Amino acid sequence: MEHTVTYLGFIPLLPLLGAVVIGLLHMFTCKKTPLPELFYGALACIGPVLSFFLALVVFFQLKGLPAEDRFLTHNVFTWFAVGDLHVDMGFLADPLSSLMLLFVTFIGSLIHIYSVGYMAGDENFGKFFSYLNLFLGSMLILVLGSGPVVMFVGWEGVGLCSYLLISFYSKDTDNVLAGNKAFIVNRIGDLGFVLGMSVLFWAIGASGFDYLSLKANVAGIPPGVGVAVCLLLFVGACGKSAQIPLYVWLPDAMAGPTPVSALIHAATMVTAGVYMVARFSFLYAHYPVAGSVVAWVGILTALLAAIFGMFQKDIKKILAYSTVSQLGYMFAGVGVAAYSAGIFHVFTHAFFKALLFLGAGSVIYALHHEQDIWKMGGLKEKLPKTYMTMLVGAFALAGCPPFAGFFSKDEILFSALATGHTGIWLIGVLVAGMTAYYTFRMIFLVFHGTPRVQESFDHAHEPPAVMTVPLIILAVGALFAGFLNLPGIFGGNLNVSHWLAPSLLEHHPHVSVWFELLAIATSVAAFAIGITLAYKKFGQGATEPEFTGFAKFGYHKFYVDEIYNAVFVQPYKAFGSVISRFLEPNVTDLHIKLSTWLYQKAGTAFKVFQVGYVRIYAIYMVIGLSLMSLFLSQTIK
Amino acid sequence: MFEYALSVMIFLPILAGLTLFLFPFSDSASRISGFIVSIVVLFLGIELFLGFSGSGAMEYAESKAWIESLGIRYSLGVDGISLLVLMAGAILFPMVFTIFSTRSKGFYANLLITQGAMIGAICATDMVLFYIFWEIMLLPIFFMIGIYGGPNRLPATVKITLYTISGSLLMLAGLVYIGVSYHEQFGRWTFDIVELSNLKLSGGFAVLAFFMFMIAFAIKIPLFPFHTWLPDAYTEAPSSTTFVLSAIMAKIGVYGVIRFIVPIFAIELARFAILLAFAGVIGMMYCGLAAIAQKDMKRMLAFSSASHMGIIALGVFCMNVQALTGCLFQIAAHATSTGVLFLFIGLMEERMQTRNIADFGGIAYRAPIFATFFAIAMLASVGLPGTSGFIGEFLIILGAIKFSGFIGFLAGTSLIIGVCYMLWMFQRVFFEKSGEGTEKFQDLSLSEALTFLPVILLILAMGIFPQPFIKKIEPTAQLHIAEMTMMAQKQLADTRLPIVVDTHQKN
Repeated sequence: MEHTVTYLGFIPLLPLLGAVVIGLLHMFTCKKTPLPELFYGALACIGPVLSFFLALVVFFQLKGLPAEDRFLTHNVFTWFAVGDLHVDMGFLADPLSSLMLLFVTFIGSLIHIYSVGYMAGDENFGKFFSYLNLFLGSMLILVLGSGPVVMFVGWEGVGLCSYLLISFYSKDTDNVLAGNKAFIVNRIGDLGFVLGMSVLFWAIGASGFDYLSLKANVAGIPPGVGVAVCLLLFVGACGKSAQIPLYVWLPDAMAGPTPVSALIHAATMVTAGVYMVARFSFLYAHYPVAGSVVAWVGILTALLAAIFGMFQKDIKKILAYSTVSQLGYMFAGVGVAAYSAGIFHVFTHAFFKALLFLGAGSVIYALHHEQDIWKMGGLKEKLPKTYMTMLVGAFALAGCPPFAGFFSKDEILFSALATGHTGIWLIGVLVAGMTAYYTFRMIFLVFHGTPRVQESFDHAHEPPAVMTVPLIILAVGALFAGFLNLPGIFGGNLNVSHWLAPSLLEHHPHVSVWFELLAIATSVAAFAIGITLAYKKFGQGATEPEFTGFAKFGYHKFYVDEIYNAVFVQPYKAFGSVISRFLEPNVTDLHIKLSTWLYQKAGTAFKVFQVGYVRIYAIYMVIGLSLMSLFLSQTIK
Repeated sequence: MFEYALSVMIFLPILAGLTLFLFPFSDSASRISGFIVSIVVLFLGIELFLGFSGSGAMEYAESKAWIESLGIRYSLGVDGISLLVLMAGAILFPMVFTIFSTRSKGFYANLLITQGAMIGAICATDMVLFYIFWEIMLLPIFFMIGIYGGPNRLPATVKITLYTISGSLLMLAGLVYIGVSYHEQFGRWTFDIVELSNLKLSGGFAVLAFFMFMIAFAIKIPLFPFHTWLPDAYTEAPSSTTFVLSAIMAKIGVYGVIRFIVPIFAIELARFAILLAFAGVIGMMYCGLAAIAQKDMKRMLAFSSASHMGIIALGVFCMNVQALTGCLFQIAAHATSTGVLFLFIGLMEERMQTRNIADFGGIAYRAPIFATFFAIAMLASVGLPGTSGFIGEFLIILGAIKFSGFIGFLAGTSLIIGVCYMLWMFQRVFFEKSGEGTEKFQDLSLSEALTFLPVILLILAMGIFPQPFIKKIEPTAQLHIAEMTMMAQKQLADTRLPIVVDTHQKN
């Protein structure tokens, strides 16, 4: 069976080429006569759209193959080979990566189009699209990489683009600090990734360091080492996908332009950690201990972020915490070995969260960069398209049947329950209720009731079609994507799960229909309670409350940022100062100081003999000559 | 002609330098002639690289009897260990002649002599010859810092000179010990490094001689805690000299360890590897932390350079193919990233008359091309995949994990430490609002852009297509590790010393 196809490499290459071309054009023209925006916009959209069509080709080609044989490879060149370590710049398309490929290129293209409208008039329009293309190319390398090292290339590439785009408005120090924070926290995760990769290599990497070879040799790995690899890799996932304790960068990342928040910090990059765990399912499936750690970290992150989300007043921060929370769900899913459920939630989440962010972008655009939900209200008359599409997104996020989020979230919760993780399931249901509450708190405050700031309300207007059409397309996705993986109880047959099955190592537990119905009923009830509470509190115009007690604590995110600052950042800087001000000049070169001191002392000691009297020197001479004669007489004899 | 390529690369710059000293050239004429000489060396270097077969053995070898009574020969050669160091010495020099405003004749003469001596030290396969070039190398550096340096140049010059001279004297003593030991064991004199690797040294004297060599190289690298000359010297030296110091001279220290200590003192190295590896990682962390507290950009970069050298040196002490190859690759990669950053800072200093980080800001808006180039070099310096910096760092960390999990973990923290100070500096210099001073900051001129473009492309090429480079150095690394393993095992049978050597890999 021939699996090599030579077009896989083009999928990431096209956006990367776009990035280089646009970047060069912008670099050389930005100071003289900037090129027209439409030109940059069109150039930027070519790569993503072509990649999307190639992704479709990949999908249909895979579909034509028998299920167990569904993979395509393309080894472009040997990247580096040292001793037993052999790394190809290779790409692998299998059911898992092809699904990721499809939605990444699809949503990526839509957001490129949307950005042409959103970024209009920005002096760095070209730079923005160069970064955005670079991001998409890196993301596609991440998804398509045939082994962990190639994945790491994309992994770091998206991290770089995330940094560049968060600090895009770089004249403002806070934005740059947010970018630095994202990069540095991600690097902490990357340390885990690199160490995990290295340990994995020394365990089983010698006979091929790509997924297919690793999967074949996984039996040779000692159990303790296996768990270590899983946990180290998960540290990497925590960094990229914003899980406890490394989640702190994502809310700050909202400093970037809103399309960036939608694409990078909601739909694609932040789900890379979940993708990685699913990619390594052949490893994680063998170590339930590691899986449990993943699941618990995930569900606790979901809970924590949901708490924070309930008290925020910046519309993008609310969505950011909801992203962290949903990512937690995904990890709970892959943690309990329901890999396809986790990945399916990645898929649906990409639609509804990108939709919500782009919708928020439209609101922000319409209100001239107002992000405080307590300064909005009644906008549904002014922005009907935005309102309707965001409403769809909100229902999907809150897990209302039959919207996309309901099916995917339910599948995760049900899997947790069915595999005996009752605690995770209970927290999951609680978080579902909280999600419905904070989502509709946002919807009610922004679109319902009466305007809170009349002036900005009067000037609000629906954005141009280039922005609303992507919203409508995403809304369709958020509405219907769930049906792709309809479980048996609703008359479906888990199409996505079956599609993913050859890539993943998972078993579907069989349980009774009543059990399943009970789980569904609980989820629906949680949604209903959440939305009711939100309506009671915010449905008919509410005024901004003074935060006290727990609400204040939640609004300040439990002061975690302040604690990290006091425990890590300040001591780090202080330690640097101590080294350069005290240790370096006084302590570290003690051995040098000691030898110069000895040298000087020796000089002083010998000075004693230099008395300056000829008679004393004559005595030295006599002593010397006598000793020499003695020595000579001894040796000659 | 090509069989004497190495001799030409050594003596052409030295002779050119001496000619400049002796005859009344004008400053700009000496700049131009220096540039021409460095271009000739560059082309010879590229020819040599392309013609290098990567067999693992010495290529382009030359050997002539010199001081026959002591078996000292004028012998040169290149193998995988020296190839990339040699490339750094051969191809980076033209840059320092094209940028910056013209300096005096003596400065260019000194630069040329430095280049010749460095290439000599890299190519020498006779230890005495190596030692001679090693010493000559220091002289022009002494003058360049002492005469052309910054305001605090004199203490810095005294410090670097005393430091390196004491190291050299220790090495000389070690060299005599080795020569004499060889004479005792084999009944004839030689200082050929291949012959010398047959020596069987043991006991306290061997350890002593090992440390004599090790300290000499440790000072040059510099390895913690022998680095304290570096921040002053790097900061006070003219930027082109700092570039030469960090891009090439520091690498010759690491190269010396691989070339001389690994084959001759394999046992001692294996015994003390863990100690030296700790010196490497602690130096990396210590200097990396110190870097964040610096207010002077050049001083920050000096600490950063010392920090990277810790990791590069670690690559030698891990004693497996991956780490050693990574180290050899990183030697060249680091020259293209941190070395070039020193030149960039020199340019900024020339434009702004200051190196204070706080005086900058918003340069990215004033000078987009410069900012892009700087960013690429910076990203290579923090080891981003796709740039030259990643491959070496990754291989060293991978190898370190094999050597010792804990050392590997500490080495891995360089991923974090590097970005902390680099991003913060980048933020304050290139982002944020532009101050009064940076309002008129000029972007790169055409000649400056053309000077840097090849190196920037090299950074990307080495990151995306590293295999053509690795292919040439890896066989020698394999051979080196294999020999060392064999020797260590032989000794292991006799002495049962606790030796940590990678003996598992079949190749």
